[in-house]
Amino acid sequence: MNNPKHFFLTGVFLVIAVTGSAGAMAAPALVKEKQCDTCHRFASGPAEKEQYGPDLFFAGDKFQKKWLENFLQHPEAIRPAGHTRDPGFLKGQRRTEPHPVLNSQETRQMTDYLMSLKTLKESPPLNLPALSKGARVRVKILFERDYSCIACHQSYNLAGLPRGGVSGPSLLDAGNRLRPEWVYQWLKNPKAFATQGRMPLYRFDEETLKQLTQYIMSHTKDDPGQ
Amino acid sequence: MNRAFLIIAGLILWALPAGCGPDPAEEKPAAPPAESAPTAPAAAHGSRAHPVTAQTRQTYQFYCAQCHGTEGHGNGINAPYLTVPPRDHTKADYLETRSDEYLFTAIQKGGLAVGRAPCMPSWEYTLDKDTIHSLVSYIRELCRCEAL
Repeated sequence: MNNPKHFFLTGVFLVIAVTGSAGAMAAPALVKEKQCDTCHRFASGPAEKEQYGPDLFFAGDKFQKKWLENFLQHPEAIRPAGHTRDPGFLKGQRRTEPHPVLNSQETRQMTDYLMSLKTLKESPPLNLPALSKGARVRVKILFERDYSCIACHQSYNLAGLPRGGVSGPSLLDAGNRLRPEWVYQWLKNPKAFATQGRMPLYRFDEETLKQLTQYIMSHTKDDPGQ
Repeated sequence: MNRAFLIIAGLILWALPAGCGPDPAEEKPAAPPAESAPTAPAAAHGSRAHPVTAQTRQTYQFYCAQCHGTEGHGNGINAPYLTVPPRDHTKADYLETRSDEYLFTAIQKGGLAVGRAPCMPSWEYTLDKDTIHSLVSYIRELCRCEAL
């Protein structure tokens, strides 16, 4: 994998990582108090050995504020097999310690902080319309057949029931959890957020990027069978 | 959701080789070429143009083991959730019927490109050609077999 493009992309990543976090708030004492940095990274760079939770240095790009507020008070597993840095990941032995539960005051403080953590210098709103039913079926075929996403991500079948692999984060509530702008950027260039991930890299054209983003954002627990 | 729409959409997905759906070729592995003869498997590994290195094994663990398992038995953490089981890379009886070029294309372009299950994605833009060649060598090491 000694490809010049990797050096270029790594360079882009480093530039973004250095310049993109300028608007971040100072970490509240709560981060230390709840030992969040034991599992999560709040800055780019090499992971500590024990940091088995998802990276949060781009939490403000990635998450919807309302979902984050709810998650911090009612945590649930997003990655059924655990995080890829978890030593038990490939063995089906994910770490099972429960995520800390925050009270409403702590949640407000933590959410404000997390939403200030951004990597993207610019993230203009996408304003993508919802897919029609016919278009959704067409993109479902792209998602499941052409790009094999279903092998690693939980999605919904046509009856609205969960279906798919567990090594990637579940997409069952992606429409409430993720910001479409982040999904779009992740699909376009995941190396902007993670130097190396287990998801294959793709070179989607612009239309496909938008359609897949719309499709992923159409996944919600409120309406799984839409 | 409209019942008629569900039925139509279901028929469309069924008619196409839909995501990780049943693979019509799954039960009928192609017969080995008539002119080929069995070769001594293990002896060939060391002489391969793209030998298995520590990097190869690491790459397999990082990407392939999610579905194919850490030891290549096809029992990775995604395996129970896939309609078509991931290939068991330790089984010579199937893998010796496949050429190295076939395995290379399956990794590079994905399962659909070789008429197999679409659960196997394309790694074309993730892994360079030398890495894919070395993964083919590693699969040959796991199955202790060569193409017939």
